[in-house]
Amino acid sequence: MTSLASFAGALTAPDRRPPPEFAGHAERRFAVYRNNVAVALIRALETRFPVLISLVGEEFFRAMAREFMLAHPPTSLLLTSFGDELPDFLASFTPAEDWPYLTDIARIEIARTRAYHAPDLVRLGADAFSALMSQGIEALRVRLHPAVAVIHSPHPVWTILAMTSGSQPAAAIDDWQPQAVLIDRPELDPLIRPLTLGTALFIEALGAGEPLGRAASTAASRATDFDLSAALAILIGGGLATSIHVFDGDLP
Amino acid sequence: MTAKTTFVAATLAGSIAAALGMVASAAAAPAAPQPNMDKCYGVSLAGQNDCAAGAGTTCAGTSKVNYDAKAWKYVAKGTCETIKTPKGMGHLKAM
Repeated sequence: MTSLASFAGALTAPDRRPPPEFAGHAERRFAVYRNNVAVALIRALETRFPVLISLVGEEFFRAMAREFMLAHPPTSLLLTSFGDELPDFLASFTPAEDWPYLTDIARIEIARTRAYHAPDLVRLGADAFSALMSQGIEALRVRLHPAVAVIHSPHPVWTILAMTSGSQPAAAIDDWQPQAVLIDRPELDPLIRPLTLGTALFIEALGAGEPLGRAASTAASRATDFDLSAALAILIGGGLATSIHVFDGDLP
Repeated sequence: MTAKTTFVAATLAGSIAAALGMVASAAAAPAAPQPNMDKCYGVSLAGQNDCAAGAGTTCAGTSKVNYDAKAWKYVAKGTCETIKTPKGMGHLKAM
């Protein structure tokens, strides 16, 4: 191991000894580096997960972030992707077990930052869909814009988001129902909007490469109130698609 | 689940037509690119840049060298407390 690699590895491994190059009060001097790295990484998580902070409070969040940072030190040079494993971490993080919805809230916040950094691709307008012939239409597949993500949860995540953002007063949620959201960045800033479960399943299936007919069947079989026209209106009106494909096989 | 629902071309074509009608009447046109706006990276979502070692971060909190302390008490002070649920999922555990 090079001295640089051993230095870097010891930064997020508190049980590892400082590199041998550290003379004198090595532990104490190296702790300054460790702390700088910890503070920077915790700040990165604070920036990426503001809703989680408002849900659990700063003190809890920072303590959780330290544990996360030690368990999952960054693997990418891009700080924007740091925290991608946070949902899975939260799912098995005992102190957070009273709030099972935190995992899905974290997924939504990850999707929002990904949407922010997604490339700007041209979106299909309504004219692209009005030009479609009905023959073979069920086999058509669409490619979704890279900023588009769908999260559906067994928890009322949209209501929780609205309450933490202040657009709804925080109050008891008497009707604890599954909810789904769409994350996209139509212009400069990411937007989150609620979806019905059926529409969420439909868009998710399209994103996974399913043709229109099969995506509609998937949604209808799992959501009894699935409204295909309404789902298509969100797909078309939201400009979620970037291309339509008529062939079989993998999308290019 | 329930009986498998299949969507034939005619149904889909009809739904697309209906959807196009909804889109047009809602005037919810896809967001057109803004020709006079530049995408200004790093402004609207502060701190999501690739370098966290800028001014103010480098030595922040260096006096606290207890970062590897495993034992920590948590006192969550967020809105969790106010989002109570019938299933008891939203409340905070009093510590």
